[in-house]
Amino acid sequence: MGTFVQLVVDGLSTGSVYAAIALAIVLVNQATGLINFAQGGMAVLAAYVAWALTNRGVPLVLAILLSIVFSFVLGAVVERYLMRRFERGDPDTAVVVTIGLLTLITGVAGWLWTYNNQSFPSLFPLDTVSFLGVSVSIRSIGTTLVIVVVMALLQALFVGTKLGLALRAVAINPQSASYSGLPVGRLLMVGWGLAAALGAVAGALVAPQLTLTPGMLDNALVYALAAVILGGLTSPVGVVVAAWIIGVLENLAAVYVPFIGYDLKVAVPFILIFVVLIVRPQGLFGRKTVVRV
Amino acid sequence: MASASAVQATPSPSAASPAPSFTERPWVRRAGALLLLVVLVVAPLVLPQFANETLARVGVFAVAVLGLNVVMGYTGQVSLGQIFFLGLGAYVTAYGVQHDWNVVVVFLLACVVPAVAGLVVALAAARLGGLAIAMVTIALPIVGVPLAKRLGDVTGGSQGISARMGGAPEGSGLYNDQWTLYVVLVIGGIVFLLTRSLVRGKFGRAFAIVKGNEHVASSMGISPYRYKVLAFTIASLIGGVSGFLYMYVIQYTSPETMSFGHSIQLLAAMVIGGAGSIVGSILGGAYYVLVPQLTNEIDASLTALLQGAILLAVLFVLPGGLASLLRAVTRGRRRSGAGNGAAAPSTTPPSTAGSAPAAGEPETERHGHA
Repeated sequence: MGTFVQLVVDGLSTGSVYAAIALAIVLVNQATGLINFAQGGMAVLAAYVAWALTNRGVPLVLAILLSIVFSFVLGAVVERYLMRRFERGDPDTAVVVTIGLLTLITGVAGWLWTYNNQSFPSLFPLDTVSFLGVSVSIRSIGTTLVIVVVMALLQALFVGTKLGLALRAVAINPQSASYSGLPVGRLLMVGWGLAAALGAVAGALVAPQLTLTPGMLDNALVYALAAVILGGLTSPVGVVVAAWIIGVLENLAAVYVPFIGYDLKVAVPFILIFVVLIVRPQGLFGRKTVVRV
Repeated sequence: MASASAVQATPSPSAASPAPSFTERPWVRRAGALLLLVVLVVAPLVLPQFANETLARVGVFAVAVLGLNVVMGYTGQVSLGQIFFLGLGAYVTAYGVQHDWNVVVVFLLACVVPAVAGLVVALAAARLGGLAIAMVTIALPIVGVPLAKRLGDVTGGSQGISARMGGAPEGSGLYNDQWTLYVVLVIGGIVFLLTRSLVRGKFGRAFAIVKGNEHVASSMGISPYRYKVLAFTIASLIGGVSGFLYMYVIQYTSPETMSFGHSIQLLAAMVIGGAGSIVGSILGGAYYVLVPQLTNEIDASLTALLQGAILLAVLFVLPGGLASLLRAVTRGRRRSGAGNGAAAPSTTPPSTAGSAPAAGEPETERHGHA
């Protein structure tokens, strides 16, 4: 029983990391209609920036905050100078552009900081706390909490502020939004910036556990994409729930299903996807899109 | 890219244009194909061993890129999993060779097993519209590597598996590298010819419509789902063939063969070579093999950075890839030569010149060589 609870809590924590990246992907998709395969790569770059800053003696929390600002700027710049050209065109080409960006970012990180694993200081102590006779790690609880708080802030931004309203308007219909005087280009930059900043939070939280390498979030990207498919691109809540389900299920499967084990647990979300695809092609929470020809 | 493939799919109305330019005359094209065939037959005999080995590897990956082109370039479905089918084909081949199965049986299995795997994946993945196929197929290399490591009894685990198929037969007077290159040229050539016919025929037109607009396709009675599954299955089958050739040429495979990084490189090679182009597939294969060697020469730690930069630069400057550059060059020449050539759009993609070694009658092959 103790192991089970520990596994569930750890699963929620990794699930939160997937959820953050998945939400970033949804954010970009809602704004520009494309899937950013470089979302994880950008988060890794942010984690490297935080790591480099701590090596220069900057306190960890400040370093992470600075890396989040860096990510926001990076996201906005990438949107303005790289993606804008491809946004109105063929979505396949835009996807290939993000894949090129992923290669480039991975290459930059590998070139600047080598492909060796670097240890990233943890924001939380590695101790465990006992609660009702079960011990759970503080890091898992802390990771989950931080990401839930960040998501709540984002939700508040989108629902409660004028900026959020404008961002939603651009996501729903960029043309009408620009007719009503919204600076669509700048709002798209903000959307990409927010997505990248969200990714940076996830990167900083998961880096101590995975150790920092340029390909650190490749697997997390796959999980996040699985969560996006399961939750449905139109449903941020669904995506977060799906990410948690994936995080918990893969942890349980790794321990309780002998064939899967730790090395093959990455297959779990895709087995789940195959089952869901047969039953609900629009995702667990998504709506069926109807398109007029 | 879409328009280019659509144009290719239509039968070339060269008879309709008033004065066929030099490169469009039938005898010129036949002679060109014959010349290419002669070059392909003679080249392995005169080239040094290193060049033959490199060319054989280019051939292997040209076939792999061709498979990716079927699903992505022609049908417009982004697939990040093509390398998985190459790996699967290679493992099937290695397993068969180690158990001394007949080489024909091994080849057929190396085609069928990846094709069936691709069919199963496509049946589920194609249910999702748009970019979701990319999001699902990215899992193939990510799951494939640990799976290959896990099934160590069959795959040799992380150590990999090596298997050697027969070298040059006795009495042929060929060196092994020459024989290997011939095998790659023959099998690869057949795959290229078959694929060229496929994408220029009825299926190719259906693929182009699915790529262009799925709703239009279904209103014309072409099921996007079915054609996506078909394209993906064919791509997997071609991937399996490239896996067989990979094993024939390199004689060793490990889980690393189908890593995520290689999968991305293969996709980059296809885009840089030219999506939806037969010649582009060959150029893509050459890019996949040669450019990493080149960038490693410059600075190994810069390889990924340079490759990403090259891919982005090509997307910005030359969205149709290197093949479109070739096409533009030949079109420009035709325009200046034929005077009124501007009236005739690119009815004849120059891809035919490079990709159709057997377009001439096969009987002339011996004459050409003698």
